Amino acid sequence: MFKIDIFTKEEFKDSHGERVLSDILSIGIRDVKKVDYFPFYIIYGDINKSEAKTIASELLSDKITEGFKISSGAEKKSKSSIIEVLYKKGVTDTVSESVIKAIKDLGITNDVKVKTGHKYYLHGNVSQDVLNKIAVKLLANILVQEYKIK
Amino acid sequence: MKNKTNCSAIEILNLSDEELIDLSVKNVLSLSLDEMKSIQFYFRKLRRNPTDVEIETIAQTWSEHCKHKTLTGIIEYTEEKYSKKIKRTYNNLLKETIFKAAMELNKKWCLSVFKDNAGIMEFDAENGVAFKVETHNHPSALEPYGGSATGIGGVIRDILGVGLGAKPLANTDVFCFGNPGIKDSQIPDGMHHPKRIVKDVVAGVRDYGNKMGIPTVNGAVYFDDGYMANPLVYCGTMGIIPKNKIDKKVNSGDLILVVGGRTGRDGIHGATFSSIQLDQKSDVGAVQIGNPIVEKKVLDTMLKARDLSLYGAVTDCGAGGLSSAIGELGEKTGAIVYLDKVPLKYGGLAPWEIWISEAQERMVLVVPLKNKKRIVELFKKENVEAVFIGKFTKDKKLTLKHNGHVVASMDMSFLHDGISKPKRFAICKIKEEKVQKSIKMTSVDLSKTLKFVLSDLNVCSKEWIIRQYDHEVQGQTIVKPLQGTDIEVSGPGDASVIFPYTLVNGTKRGIVLSNGLNPSYGKINTYKMAASAIEESLRNAVAVGADVEKMSLLDNFCWGNPNNPEILGSLVRAANACYDMSKAFDIPFISGKDSLHNEYSIGGKKYSIPPVLLISAIGVIENVANTVTMPFKNDGNKIFILGVTRNEIAGSVLAKIKNIKDGVVPVVYPKESKEVMKRIYKAINNDLIESCHDCSEGGLVVAISEMAFAGDKGVKINIDAIRIKGRLSVAETLFSESNGRFIVEIIPKNKSKFRDIFKGCVFAEVGCVTKDKYVIFESQKDKVKVKEKSRNLLKVWRNTISW
Repeated sequence: MFKIDIFTKEEFKDSHGERVLSDILSIGIRDVKKVDYFPFYIIYGDINKSEAKTIASELLSDKITEGFKISSGAEKKSKSSIIEVLYKKGVTDTVSESVIKAIKDLGITNDVKVKTGHKYYLHGNVSQDVLNKIAVKLLANILVQEYKIK
Repeated sequence: MKNKTNCSAIEILNLSDEELIDLSVKNVLSLSLDEMKSIQFYFRKLRRNPTDVEIETIAQTWSEHCKHKTLTGIIEYTEEKYSKKIKRTYNNLLKETIFKAAMELNKKWCLSVFKDNAGIMEFDAENGVAFKVETHNHPSALEPYGGSATGIGGVIRDILGVGLGAKPLANTDVFCFGNPGIKDSQIPDGMHHPKRIVKDVVAGVRDYGNKMGIPTVNGAVYFDDGYMANPLVYCGTMGIIPKNKIDKKVNSGDLILVVGGRTGRDGIHGATFSSIQLDQKSDVGAVQIGNPIVEKKVLDTMLKARDLSLYGAVTDCGAGGLSSAIGELGEKTGAIVYLDKVPLKYGGLAPWEIWISEAQERMVLVVPLKNKKRIVELFKKENVEAVFIGKFTKDKKLTLKHNGHVVASMDMSFLHDGISKPKRFAICKIKEEKVQKSIKMTSVDLSKTLKFVLSDLNVCSKEWIIRQYDHEVQGQTIVKPLQGTDIEVSGPGDASVIFPYTLVNGTKRGIVLSNGLNPSYGKINTYKMAASAIEESLRNAVAVGADVEKMSLLDNFCWGNPNNPEILGSLVRAANACYDMSKAFDIPFISGKDSLHNEYSIGGKKYSIPPVLLISAIGVIENVANTVTMPFKNDGNKIFILGVTRNEIAGSVLAKIKNIKDGVVPVVYPKESKEVMKRIYKAINNDLIESCHDCSEGGLVVAISEMAFAGDKGVKINIDAIRIKGRLSVAETLFSESNGRFIVEIIPKNKSKFRDIFKGCVFAEVGCVTKDKYVIFESQKDKVKVKEKSRNLLKVWRNTISW
């Protein structure tokens, strides 16, 4: 299993993160100072690290504006709060369907399964309650998605 | 019947009335007692219980969503006016109003009216244009992003599924939302904040429409607290189709081919679910997720197969899934389907789930045996899954098999005609409308009010939404939704024009798309709301250059609970207005759709939405070069107002802002208006009009200000020169929303030719375009003057929605 996080390089504007921050402000929460947005992909199946790297660089990230991190186990602790949003089991994940097809097109023939998600790093001193509120009100639709606060 | 498969018999033969109702509720069938009894009666004749597949099939086929039971059922209508009662019975409201007008008008150039997935009118000698608008309200309330995306995906498939398939050229979208400024604490538990709904709905339409490579060119947004828990999401698609591809043919022995997406549990009970009211326990299975990439591939490949004449009929899998699609196609022949052959996303689906799933991006094709190999090869080459799942028979029965077992066997005639006609009561008490106490304003008040109105949610710029959509893709959008001198300076276009030159070689013709809706009038008088929406849609189209003699209309009703006689009464009134206006304007309706039961409960109390009739208009014009936009063009040009201003303030933006309770809702005078519209077409085609704008929400003062700031010009208007009827104060003159009015800009040397064309109509020269960039409205008589910088008004108009 590899988890690939995509991030916007520092010299470029993380417009999605900025939009989320302005949404957070608009519901009256002032504790969050900055938001970094990372879309991520979890790839299950018989692939090796270099294949994961190919997938990340050739398929999932934009070489000019984005970078990626690949991890295969537990993640390092972060100072900021993290909210992760994933589809619930059984909900059709069309992006993952496209990724699976595209991985085959890259010439990686082993069968893989893919889960997609969104990760938000929230900088600032934010309580658990507020994090829950942000997740439910803005980031996840709990009808089809679940979220984790780390 | 043996049931060794994953399918069970449902006990119905010996159930009491009460138990029948319980069964309907428990299984989300949304069937009434009468309908349950019809089913019981049918199966008593067969001396067996129905299977779950059968009962689900019946529920889908008979759902309000598919059958439009209310509008085609019996309605006992009573109208009360000044304590006089008029009674009338409708056996089929739709057939006796909207459809009837279309039949009576009997236009040769209407090629398909109310019988296919979309209406079709003639484009030229070889082609027709198809247009359809659908709603996707309930799913959008629960999952705004997925709901609106599948809404647009669904209506695109309607266009693919009309005749043998039309090529989509443009999308439209119209939304009604709650107030996005409402405090979070006022939102009931389990419901999304209106602002989140707006953002996600827009994102859904954007992500699906843009990825399909179809421009989104026309729309409207209306805000009112009545839509907080039940937003309305209308999506439309227009496409072009060769005339020789309009007829469908289904023969016994033809094969059933399903192409596109795989079937999963998504959207189970969508059709029956849309016929019930929303509450917090609403079925999560009804949520569908769209995949535009799959649909784009289906579109491209299907049109290739169409041009090779590889199939005889097609329809989309919409509400009710395969059940509806195959049920409709096989109505006259009968069909047998092997459910185990349907490609699935994952295992474990029961036969009834496969049959009624509303998984997206699927089309059903009717393929003659001789083309079996060729069509599959074609789809395979394009990487689109295409699987034969059955064939059409001669026995006029619907037979479903799963792993060799028969899981359903019913007569098509029972399925399609066995439904008992419900009878409903409708009542409408027509309230007398009185002119309000005269509204007096000082110059300062007028200026302030103008800015309030321009910044009102229902008048302000929708640029934040429009610019997320690709309205240019395909390169055929000639008149665009935002019009002005540059990207920062723009005004709201009245309608869009598509020039399909890439598909129709050498053509000069164009297609005009516009819409009209006015729910605030409907709160007082639904007849006038419907009439005004019809006229507004026509005015919008005419303002850019449409020929009012060659236009068609679509109706989309979104109403509350029709079991409430007053709500149903207001619907009957609106339908009557459609008949009257369609006849008076000599313009037919060619397609429509209704979404009833837009009701939600908060804290146990039920609320119905304020009723909405969206009218979408489509017109074909001879020459796309003869179109105009709304920004003022040149200093010194003269400004005329066509049409007369009456004291019609009720339901206006002014009435909302100033909380004015009395007043008259704008009336439609079709004879007057149509005459003006005909002559505008003539004037535009004689190159006499520089700019033209429809006058609606906010009144004259808003329309003229918009033209000025969009052109980055000034304007000076003499209020005393405006033609009025009755007694009107300055404020009433400027903010009244009377129908039938246009603002036009003329080059001074063309004045006499222009006057000749409009001889006999009410019109007046009221001012000129000025270079000082001030918007000025002045009355010598009343000694008032509004003077504002054009750029300031633009700022006020643009700032409300800029998230």
